[in-house]
Amino acid sequence: MEQSLRSRIGSVALPALFAVLLLFLWQTQLLHRMLGTDTFVLPLPRHIAQILVDNPVKIAENLRATCSVMFSGLAIGCLLGYGISVAAALFPKWGSGGLRVIGAFNAVPIVALAPVVINLTRDASDDVEVRSTIAKTIVVALLCAVAMSIGAYRGLTDLQPFAEDLLKSYAADRKTVFLKLRLPNSVPHIFIALRVIVPTSVISALITEYFAEHVIGIGRMIRDNITLAQYATAWAYIVVACALGIASYAVLMLAQRLICGRRWRI
Amino acid sequence: MGRLRRLTDSNLFVTIVWIAALVCVWEIAASYIETVKRTPENVLPHLWQIGQSVVSTKPVAGGQTALQIVLTAAAATLSRAGLGFVIGAGLGFVLALLMKLSGIVEKIAFPYLMIIQMIPILGMAPIVLGITGDIGVSRVAIAAILTFYPVAANTLAGLKSTEPEKDSLFRSYAATLPQTYVKLYIPVALPYLFTGLKIAAPLAVTASILVDTLQGDGGLGCMLSQSLKHAMSIFVFWQIVFLSAIVGVLSLNAMVWLERLVLPNERRKGKWNKASEAESAA
Amino acid sequence: MVEISVNDVGMVYSRNETVALEGVTLDVEKGEFISLLGPSGCGKTTLLRIIANLLEPTSGTVTVAGGTPEQARKNRKYGIVFQRPVLQSWRTVRKNIELPLEIMHVPPEERRARSDAMLKMIRLRNFVDAYPDELSGGMQQRVGIARALVIEPEILLMDEPFSALDEFTRERLQGDLLSIWQESKKTIVFVTHNIAEAVYLSDRVCVFSPRPGRLSAVVDVKLPRPRPPEIRDTAEFVEYVARVRGSFEGI
Repeated sequence: MEQSLRSRIGSVALPALFAVLLLFLWQTQLLHRMLGTDTFVLPLPRHIAQILVDNPVKIAENLRATCSVMFSGLAIGCLLGYGISVAAALFPKWGSGGLRVIGAFNAVPIVALAPVVINLTRDASDDVEVRSTIAKTIVVALLCAVAMSIGAYRGLTDLQPFAEDLLKSYAADRKTVFLKLRLPNSVPHIFIALRVIVPTSVISALITEYFAEHVIGIGRMIRDNITLAQYATAWAYIVVACALGIASYAVLMLAQRLICGRRWRI
Repeated sequence: MGRLRRLTDSNLFVTIVWIAALVCVWEIAASYIETVKRTPENVLPHLWQIGQSVVSTKPVAGGQTALQIVLTAAAATLSRAGLGFVIGAGLGFVLALLMKLSGIVEKIAFPYLMIIQMIPILGMAPIVLGITGDIGVSRVAIAAILTFYPVAANTLAGLKSTEPEKDSLFRSYAATLPQTYVKLYIPVALPYLFTGLKIAAPLAVTASILVDTLQGDGGLGCMLSQSLKHAMSIFVFWQIVFLSAIVGVLSLNAMVWLERLVLPNERRKGKWNKASEAESAA
Repeated sequence: MVEISVNDVGMVYSRNETVALEGVTLDVEKGEFISLLGPSGCGKTTLLRIIANLLEPTSGTVTVAGGTPEQARKNRKYGIVFQRPVLQSWRTVRKNIELPLEIMHVPPEERRARSDAMLKMIRLRNFVDAYPDELSGGMQQRVGIARALVIEPEILLMDEPFSALDEFTRERLQGDLLSIWQESKKTIVFVTHNIAEAVYLSDRVCVFSPRPGRLSAVVDVKLPRPRPPEIRDTAEFVEYVARVRGSFEGI
């Protein structure tokens, strides 16, 4: 009992100690000497915090743009991907082959995908902001859909031995097998896929902003501020990007706990 | 009839039909765009036009053909991506070993390993370029950082996946710590290591191309940006799109191939059918 | 001569304060075949792991081959077989059998000679270069037994080695085990939850009862040796099975 408490304290205290050490090295500029850089490129933590405090409106505006692309892309992509996996599970012969082809898209770099989509959607609207948002959302949705369709397909088809036989012994039709077996069986696989998809949606939202016509978003701000040699501002946006990544992952973990509970062990 | 049936049931056939369907969709879209756009090749050229630009000997910029430009750029980018990948994979493997060996190292590093997967490292590429100040070093660094996390996390999971009975078995032999690692933990972890490498390889390619777009200093990403800005033939862009897709897929396949080479008994699975007890008595 | 001596051994798991074993005293003679029998949770596997020095008892003492369990383990006095064969999927049958010899730095020629002898004993010479995945469950378990015997231990510790096998394979491996034991005269401690198996194999059956785990009866089995498989059909055998079962009801 005592031992487990001590080990639990250790697993919080030791990483915290490391973080304090890192901040100390940073603030005392020993870190700069180790990386061979200066406080201009790698500003002190206080300076970064100051910028965050001084520019709430501008940061909120960019955060909103990134979030709307990220969350709508995530939602559309997951629904689309799950739809594809259901179709593939219904027609296994063509479905599994189709997913193999889709799986190859996983390896296609986003830097190649983003400009193609932006070119294709150039006529979607006369408003540059609207058509940029549409293009960015499509890129995020495509990447999420690919990962979701592969993960969910595994969940829909990777059944426990004899589980399907049991339902067939009740003379269950395909629809019942789907609703009573395949669908619930896929739930934990959806969450496993989401652990990759949620960080992917953040990254792809940030990267697509590099290529978009309309200049807005956290990712674009990181890049443009560095081009303008405003490193401290860029760092402030990096902090926001990290916070967005961690927050979205935390929301996912919370949702997983609420939905899965004791029903689905992951 | 039976042979036809076998052919249409084969995986290869199904895959080819899907790819053919995708080509058809592309071509129909390209034909449509041809009728409504003045410069359709900027939006969606025909596939044969892209193919033609690959074999064309007409110089597009600086006396080089499109293909020469793309290949020179690819060599610069991919060699750095490969170097970063190797460094990142090595560091990730070593960290996983240290975390398995020492509870203190694991406690310190584990939360940070979790956080790395949540934060958008690729979005931080510009700042890495700012700190290193050199595009070549940045390509290596970003590829290494992106490789590091999946390799470290998967290898650690593998090192910890040994069945408790196997641990007991090695303890019963009074095996030393290095013996237990070399003969048990590391072999058990190898398939997990390859899972990590398979995730990391396309990431390393993507990362180094992305770093290129940040500075006009050669490389695939740089040529891609310049071609998009019409500094040279747009077909350089389309060639790079296809090349990077192909390289991404190939990098993944290279890891699958390497895994088969290193873990040969995976390949031999199914060479014998499950032997029955009766046969062994003979 | 006493090979294994268990003296008032107790085991309490600190995690949830479960009493896994309480006051167990037992002597095992050299060359004896002894079974530890009982339902799950009675501490029989815990006792085996204490003898093997895979667990430290919270009270009492154990001597194995004239020393502490730790000395016995470090001097490779015993071989151990688990419920699952725990073979290494990336090693061939021969390489799996040679694994402990590699750890003991036995030279390759001798490793080969000794694994050859083991392969002959377990009748798997045609499968030297097969991988574990290509073997049936019974064959895998035979490789596990060969791996335990290849170090030429004085003692063989077996933790429900046949419980995952089908009835036919199990009876056959029981016969194999008895003939191996008859030839080598090892001391065998055999954990099982199968009454007939314990009676068929053993000189003595130690009956354990759960919550808290303790030794509740010891039954001497005086069936003649060697024991042919048909001995299971004799009235004497059935009587022993009934007696052992009866000792459970007395708990």
